[in-house]
Amino acid sequence: MNIYLLSPEISLLALALVVILLDLFMDRKWLLGVVSVVGLIVPAAFTVALWGTNQTAFGGALVVDQFSLFFKLFFLVVVALVILSSTDYAHKFAAFRGEYYAILLLATTGMMLMASTRELISIYVALELTGISLYVLTGFLKDDKSSEAGLKYLLLGAVASAVLLYGMALVFGLTGTTHLREIATAISAEGLLSSPALLMGIVLLVAGFGFKIAAVPFQMWVPDVYEGAPTPVTAYLSVASKAAGFAVILRVFYEALGPASLDWGMIFAVIAAITMTVGNVVAIAQSNIKRMLGYSSIAQAGYLMIGLAAASTTGSSALVFFLVCYAFTNLGAFIAIIAISNKIDSDQIADYSGMARRAPLLSLALALCLISLAGIPPTAGFMAKLYIFSAGIDSGLVWLVIIAVINTVIAAYYYLRVVRVIYLGAPLSEERVPSSGALRAALSFACLGVLALGIYPWMVLRIAEVAASMLLP
Amino acid sequence: MPAELVLAIFLLPFFSFAIISFVLRPFFNHRPLLSGYVTIAAIGISLVLSIWALIEVSGAPHHILQMPDYEWVVIGDTVIRIGVTVDALAVVMLIVVTSVSLMVQIYSLGYMKGDGGFCRYFAFMSLFTGSMLGLVLADNLLFLFLFWEGVGLCSYLLIGFWFHKPEAARAAMKAFLVTRLGDFGFLAAILLLYAKTGTFDIGELQNLALTGAIGGTVLTWAAIGVFSGAAGKSAQFPLHTWLPDAMEGPTPVSALIHAATMVAAGVYLVARMFPVFASSTTAITTVAIIGGFTAIFAASMGLVMNDIKRVLAYSTISQLGYMMLGLGTVGVGISTGYISLEHGLALGVAVGIFHLFTHAFFKSLLFLGAGSVSHATGTFDMREMGGLRKAMPWTFFTFLIASLSLAGIWPLAGFWSKEGILAASFHYVPVLFYLAIITVFMTAFYIFRVIFLTFGGEYRGTDQGSHGLHESPVVMLVPMVILAILAVVAGLLPINEFLGGESHSFFGALSHPLAWVSLVWAGGGIFLAYAIYGAKWLSAASLRQRFAPIHTLFSRKYWFDELYENLFLMRLLVNGIFAALHWFDDHIIDGAVNGIAGGTVAVGTVVRRLETGQLQAYGLAIFVGILAIVACVFIFS
Amino acid sequence: MLGNFGYIGIFLLAAIGFAASTILIPVTLRFLGVVPRKPNPTKYTTYECGMETVGKSWVRFNFRYYFFALLFVVFDIQVVFLYPWAVHFNQLRLFGLVEMLAFVLILLVGFVYAWRKGVLQWK
Repeated sequence: MNIYLLSPEISLLALALVVILLDLFMDRKWLLGVVSVVGLIVPAAFTVALWGTNQTAFGGALVVDQFSLFFKLFFLVVVALVILSSTDYAHKFAAFRGEYYAILLLATTGMMLMASTRELISIYVALELTGISLYVLTGFLKDDKSSEAGLKYLLLGAVASAVLLYGMALVFGLTGTTHLREIATAISAEGLLSSPALLMGIVLLVAGFGFKIAAVPFQMWVPDVYEGAPTPVTAYLSVASKAAGFAVILRVFYEALGPASLDWGMIFAVIAAITMTVGNVVAIAQSNIKRMLGYSSIAQAGYLMIGLAAASTTGSSALVFFLVCYAFTNLGAFIAIIAISNKIDSDQIADYSGMARRAPLLSLALALCLISLAGIPPTAGFMAKLYIFSAGIDSGLVWLVIIAVINTVIAAYYYLRVVRVIYLGAPLSEERVPSSGALRAALSFACLGVLALGIYPWMVLRIAEVAASMLLP
Repeated sequence: MPAELVLAIFLLPFFSFAIISFVLRPFFNHRPLLSGYVTIAAIGISLVLSIWALIEVSGAPHHILQMPDYEWVVIGDTVIRIGVTVDALAVVMLIVVTSVSLMVQIYSLGYMKGDGGFCRYFAFMSLFTGSMLGLVLADNLLFLFLFWEGVGLCSYLLIGFWFHKPEAARAAMKAFLVTRLGDFGFLAAILLLYAKTGTFDIGELQNLALTGAIGGTVLTWAAIGVFSGAAGKSAQFPLHTWLPDAMEGPTPVSALIHAATMVAAGVYLVARMFPVFASSTTAITTVAIIGGFTAIFAASMGLVMNDIKRVLAYSTISQLGYMMLGLGTVGVGISTGYISLEHGLALGVAVGIFHLFTHAFFKSLLFLGAGSVSHATGTFDMREMGGLRKAMPWTFFTFLIASLSLAGIWPLAGFWSKEGILAASFHYVPVLFYLAIITVFMTAFYIFRVIFLTFGGEYRGTDQGSHGLHESPVVMLVPMVILAILAVVAGLLPINEFLGGESHSFFGALSHPLAWVSLVWAGGGIFLAYAIYGAKWLSAASLRQRFAPIHTLFSRKYWFDELYENLFLMRLLVNGIFAALHWFDDHIIDGAVNGIAGGTVAVGTVVRRLETGQLQAYGLAIFVGILAIVACVFIFS
Repeated sequence: MLGNFGYIGIFLLAAIGFAASTILIPVTLRFLGVVPRKPNPTKYTTYECGMETVGKSWVRFNFRYYFFALLFVVFDIQVVFLYPWAVHFNQLRLFGLVEMLAFVLILLVGFVYAWRKGVLQWK
């Protein structure tokens, strides 16, 4: 077995350990963030160097192909942006900065493993590694709201894990194997397609993973957790955790349950429609911007699921591309919010009034990201929606795309309402809103990504296609 | 002409936007005039390049310049190419946009002087001009839609430019939402066309429509979807309500965006997609009827408005209706076989766009005149004006020329373009011709009502002493004079022939009886306005009393605002769904969270709450959800 | 494949039967009068042998016990993995050694962490 295949994960784990040790023996705590970000270059370099390989390890449990490598690089970029944006926030963690960065890195390790497992038990282990790290991160502020959020997330996460395990057990019981490809073979070979037990297993898997990606009706935890968690963690949850969930779903449903795609395609289509509608409609009534973005991320999960419902290669590549666009956009929005709420100490939309005059560049960035979330050109959000809608139409899901388009119109209302408050409201004070260089760098990177993907998406789309093509048998 | 220079036409204003936003505004905010100069320079170069393009196109075979296109996106086997279309229609639009924009920017140097948002104003104006030029040049629906939303965004930003005024902020929102309603149809149509044909390319779509490759219901719905977008942008009935409110923006904005260019984008879109429309009888008939109805409907409201800009706004809606009518009636002519396809396609575009061309000049001039008047009097209310003829001779003179042109008096620009539309409707849809000819009468009446109320009689304002009536500065007058010259000669330029329409000789046009009919009706309108507001032979007050119901109907704008806001928005949305959502959020979600967030509540309490309250509900929701999915799956599979 | 569930059913029945019988047998015997009933005070005490409890069971524990419990678990797991590794050391060779070193190293970091954070001191 080639240990080199695991080099990104191993080096990332080593980085997490180095950060913990540095924290113990060093007084200059600001260096921790620097080490974390700079250290990410090593796993990233390994990932890039591995591009093009298509091999398995641990008896087929782990696979290193362009799909998993794409997601690994994706998670590394996201975590780098999150760490950069945390520098303005880290003072709230008092003495626990080292733990914060280390756990963030460990969660990322878990996600990277999630993207490259091809076996149900490994998937579960990776999922739990990610999950437990995220539960801790959610409660990291140790105030009432944060602790509440952490506990809720933990308990509901446990329920979801249980449901997922039931689903996995059923699938294993029917097919006698936990390897995804072998499950697919067993399903077609033994004529299990019409078996109610398989359907039951699929439904339970959908529910278990649906919790991760916050699909309705498994989304209940989202607003509370997003509001309570430290804002950088919220950003991380809404982007990386969701992306990891989708990566696993793509893997499991395309590789293992591909023969049953008619069944789960329809399930995902219906859930997608409900999810985007509920997310958007409830988001309209929100007055807290983090809660609003929480509901908005539910709605975005609905759009993303169109790619699953399409159950085609176009669908999965559109989904992957949407994830990249969504990551840049949502991260940008959250980073801007971190900077602003750091100064004004409030997440109420009303308190953002006239922010354009207190922080012109932050406001511009936030507005750009909100416009992208609304799906207005020339931003990444528009391109992402366009591709995923056209994938839906290609698969004959015209009704779903029509619902999605109506939803887009509804969503524009609440996103632009924030833009209006920022630009047209009267400023509540004349004080400027400062931000650190690291945060600004992260924000500019995110915004550049939003614009670049909106204007010239070709390259990323190409890579997304290559990644998605790996899922074909 | 090198392709790079064509691209430069619309990229230059974007470049100017970038310079103003990222260089001038942060670093040279103490010298705001710089941003104006940058904008004017960029648009000036665009105008020169546009004229060059016009010359090139008029010499090219079939009036089309071949431009390279680029591979933009590849999804699987689908290749989306982008490029620019440089044909007669595009270059005429380019000339309109760049020349009016240039005049308006120069005028703005004076009008916006001393405003705190000077830089921001020019940044948005550059952005708008760039988007508008991009819209005109785009050769596929996707890019067209991109710029389409871009101009919508700029319009939103500029209507709400004085955002500290609540009416302005509200008007901006209204404009955005109402046009978005139309855009929804447009986007749906784009997706529908793409789903059926796999292409966004306008040229290919035109061919497919003409050869019958797409047809029937699909084509009809697609065309109606496109038209709903066009109707939103061009403020056609029933999406017209946003334009009069949009007058809250700075007047040069109204002149450029809400008179000459952006609102004409809808007409341009219909012209660009004309073969698609002409292939569906239902769609093109809809265009003609909506256009004709909007023309008379909006004009009727213009008769009674007291705000000078609102009169002009309704006039704009009415004239846009005219353009739609021109396109629509020729299209009906094609589909009923009165006119050959090849000839009709060119004629329809020529009739509609020629009026767009002349209208852009005289209508933007009217707005600039209104701005100049308010610059002196500090108001837009005509009841507080009067007698400005003496104080503002240049403004009066240019305004008069523009009004005569709007009324369609020979030989001014408006006469020539209006004739084309009247002739088309007379030949192909006579019913609509009668509506149009009544509109001619109304148009002449309301615009001369404005003239007599504003410039005639004695000054009725109050703050004459403090303010002092004065002519506007030269920097504002020069663009007005240039536009006035264009309002005279634009009709004589061979634009109509260039677009493929029929040519008329200078005096020969008068030999046609239709010309006399329209001139008589226009003259009648002017005379009636003179009788009421000039010579005061008839009392406006007593007339108002006698026709009170009609007057109320017009001045309350047929209660459309109330209808939309009360019925649709307030009742349905705010009172119904929003309230329910709000209740849900307040009581169910926030209630629990706020209780917890009290801060004094100890963590122990939090945990207790979690165990006894919400969390179980969440867990329950998960299982109910699973059961529901299972039930659905087993019932339906 | 579905037939495999049959075995699970049998196991399930056996498990339920075993649990039920252990409870039911004394009850049945008592009912039949086979088991004599001779109560005395010692039989009714909480613990038949050992100390009587003092005070309520709702007392606070020093949280440092939990720290030690956690550390114990960590080292326990380490031993659980070390044993099979040691037994198969000859087959696993160098690769096994390196892997185990990595494992011990990771746990060592946890130990150092606990030490530096002052968990090992009982203040």
